[in-house]
Amino acid sequence: MMSLSKGKVNTPYTVNCVKTDSEDIREFLFTLGCYPGEKITIISKLASNYIINIKDARYSIDEELANAIMV
Amino acid sequence: MKIALAGNPNSGKTTLFNAITGKIEHVGNWAGVTVEKKEGDVKQSLNPRNEDLVVVDLPGAYSMSPYTSEESITRDFVQNENPDVIINIVDSTNLSRSLFFTTQLLELGIPVVVALNKSDLTEKKGNTIDVPALRDALKCPVIQTISSKSSYNGLPELLDAVIMAGKSNKKQISPNIGAKKASTKEEFEKVDKKRFTFVNNIVTEVERRKVSSEKQTLQDKVDRIVAHPWLGIPIFALIIWLVFSISQSWVGPVFADIFVGWIDSLNAGVASLLGENVNPVVSALLLDGIIGGVSAVVGFLPLIMVLFFCLALLEDSGYMARVAIVLDRFFKKVGLSGRSIIPMIIGTGCGIPGIMATRTIKNERQRRTTAMLTPFMPCGAKLPIIALFAGVFFNENSWVGTSMYFLGIIVIIISALIIRKITGDYSKSYFIMELPEYRWPSIKRASVSVLMRAKAFIIKAGTIILVCNAVVQILQTFNWQLQVVAETAPETSILASIATPLAILFIPLGFGLWQFAAAAVTGFIAKENVVGTLAVCFSITNFINVEELTLVGGSQEVSSIFGISAVAALAYLVFNLFTPPCFAAIGAMRSEMESPKWLWGAIGFQLSMGYVLAFLVYQIGTLVTTGTLGQGFIGGLIAVLVIVGCVLYLMRRGSNSAQISAGMRSVKV
Repeated sequence: MMSLSKGKVNTPYTVNCVKTDSEDIREFLFTLGCYPGEKITIISKLASNYIINIKDARYSIDEELANAIMV
Repeated sequence: MKIALAGNPNSGKTTLFNAITGKIEHVGNWAGVTVEKKEGDVKQSLNPRNEDLVVVDLPGAYSMSPYTSEESITRDFVQNENPDVIINIVDSTNLSRSLFFTTQLLELGIPVVVALNKSDLTEKKGNTIDVPALRDALKCPVIQTISSKSSYNGLPELLDAVIMAGKSNKKQISPNIGAKKASTKEEFEKVDKKRFTFVNNIVTEVERRKVSSEKQTLQDKVDRIVAHPWLGIPIFALIIWLVFSISQSWVGPVFADIFVGWIDSLNAGVASLLGENVNPVVSALLLDGIIGGVSAVVGFLPLIMVLFFCLALLEDSGYMARVAIVLDRFFKKVGLSGRSIIPMIIGTGCGIPGIMATRTIKNERQRRTTAMLTPFMPCGAKLPIIALFAGVFFNENSWVGTSMYFLGIIVIIISALIIRKITGDYSKSYFIMELPEYRWPSIKRASVSVLMRAKAFIIKAGTIILVCNAVVQILQTFNWQLQVVAETAPETSILASIATPLAILFIPLGFGLWQFAAAAVTGFIAKENVVGTLAVCFSITNFINVEELTLVGGSQEVSSIFGISAVAALAYLVFNLFTPPCFAAIGAMRSEMESPKWLWGAIGFQLSMGYVLAFLVYQIGTLVTTGTLGQGFIGGLIAVLVIVGCVLYLMRRGSNSAQISAGMRSVKV
C-alpha cells in the first residue's frame, strides 16, 4: 500500500482507502466512484497538481489529496 | 406540470434548459456555473398543445448527499418541492459515474426521464450505448439528446416522453439494486456500494468503448502544455493580453468608431430640435447631463461587448478550468485554492454572479475570503474607467487593461494572505475539480451571451446611470441658494461643496479635485457612473473620437481639462478598481458571507486597500517621474501608516489566537 502521490503515470491502480480526517471528502470521492476496490489512473503530474482518471472522467487534485488516497 | 432538471455538474443542464425554454442563462464549459435554481416555461415550438409546463433548472449534483451548498439546493428541491417529472440529464460520455445519481433519483417515486446528453460526443469517440437495454435496466424512458444543437437534437422526443410520464400518474418503480432499506450509516454505505455495483453491471452491458478512458489523449497533451507549472502563467498572460488587445485596440475601436458616430448625430439632432430659445439650464441638463453623461458611458459598449465575446469563447472552450490548476499553487500558499479562481473569472464579467459562485467553495473562511476579494477583478462596469484612462493618459491601451487584470490577481493573493493571518485560520482543504473536455467554442453561444449583456448594459445606462447623471448635472448647476452657479465659479455648486471635504482626503493620492471625488462616490451606485460623472463635471460628451480613434480633441486636451498628471490618473484608476464594489455587489457579498462582521470587515479592508494602493502609485510614481514627492505626502503617509498599523495589529492578534487554539489541540492530544 502506498499513497497515490508516489504512483506512476499511466498505471492503473486500485484504491485501497482514503486516509483523512475529513469524512466529507471521503464521501464526496465515493460519489465520484473513488472508493476501495475501484480503479484510478494518474494521467499527468503538473506542478503540485495531479490529473487523475476515475471512472470515465478527468479530475485535477492537489498533492494533499493525492497523499490521502492510498492505492 | 413542474419539471425538474437534475444531473451531474457540466452535463449540460443549463444548455438544455435554455434550449427548451428559449431563455438565455449563463452557461460555461466547467462544473458549477449554475448555483441557484431557475424557472422557465417550455417554449411554444416544443409545446404544441400549449400545456402548462414549467421547467426548473437546478445546480449540478453528483449525488443526493450534498458536498457543497449549491448541491443541497438540488437535493432539497427534488425531495421537498414535489416536481411532477424529473429530467435526469446524463452525460453519455460518463455513464459509469452519472448513473449513480440516476439510481438515487429513481428511488424518489417521481417519474424520471433520462436525457442521454452529449450523444454527439459519444459518437465522435466511437462509443456506442445500447439505449433500449439501458431503458429496460433503469425502468424509465431514455432519450438521446444533443442540447447544444438547434435541430435534430432529440428535444421534441424528450418532451413527449416527459409529458407522457407526467400524465400517467404512475409512481416511478426503481430498479432493484439488490439492497435493503438502510437506517444506519454503515448500512447506507453498503447500499451505496451495491448501487455502484449495479451501475457497473449496467454499464458493462450497454456500453462499448472504442478507447478506454484512462488512455492518454490529445487533450491530455494540451493540458500538459497549458497547465504546465511554468509555461502555464505566460500562456495565461498572453491570452489575457490578446483579449484586451482585441477588445481595446484592434477590433473594439472599429465598432466604437461607428457607434459613437451615431451617438454624436443623436446629440446634434436633439440640440437642433431644442433650438436656441430654450432655457440654458434645461438644455444643459438634457444635452450635457443626460445625453452627454449616458453617451460617454454607452460609447464604451462596443469595447465591452468585444471583451465579453472573447471571454465567452474562452469559457466555452474549457480553458478556464486549466487556469484554476495553474493558479491553484499560488492560491494554496495564501490559504485559498484553485476553486476560488472560478468565482473570480466569472467576476470579470460582473461581480454579482462571481460572488454568488463562491457557494461552490466548501470551506467557510475560503468562501468568505473569495467573496470579499472577487470584486478586485476588473468587472465589465469598471472597463469604461480602464478604457478611458488608458486612452487619455496612456497610448498603449491593451497594456493598461492587461496589467490591471494581473494587478487584480496579485492584490487578491496578497489580500488573501493578510486575511488568513487576521482570521488565524490555517485550516487546509483539499482541492478537487472536474476537468471538462476541450471543445471548439461556439460563435453563436458567445454572440447570444454578449447580446444579453449588452441589453442589460443599455438598460442600466438608460435607468440608474441616466438618473445619476441628471442628479449630478442639477447639483453642479445650482448652489445652496438654488441659484444657477456662475460659469467662473463652479466650486460654489452644491455638488462641489459636498465633494470638496472628501477631495481633501484624496490630495495625497494625487486627485484632490471635487470632480474626481464626486465621480468616485457615484461609482458606488454603479461603477459606470465614474465615467458618466466625469463627463458631466468636465462637460465632455464623448471620450472616443469618430475620425481619429483617439480621444476628443486629442488625448492631450482631455488630460489638460482633467488637470491631473498621468501618474495621478493611474492612481485614480487603481483607487476605483480596488475600493468596494457597487452597492448591488455589496448586497451579494452580504448574502454570501452571512456575517455582518465579515461584511463590514470586507468593506473596511477594500477601502483601505484602494487608498493605500493609490497612495503608493501616486507617490512612488511622482518620485520616479519628477524626482520629488507628490502633494500631501505627510498627511497621506500618516493615514497609510494608521491603516497598516491596524492591519498589522489584527494580524498579530489573529496569529496569537491561532497559536492558542493550536496549543489547546496539543493539550487535548
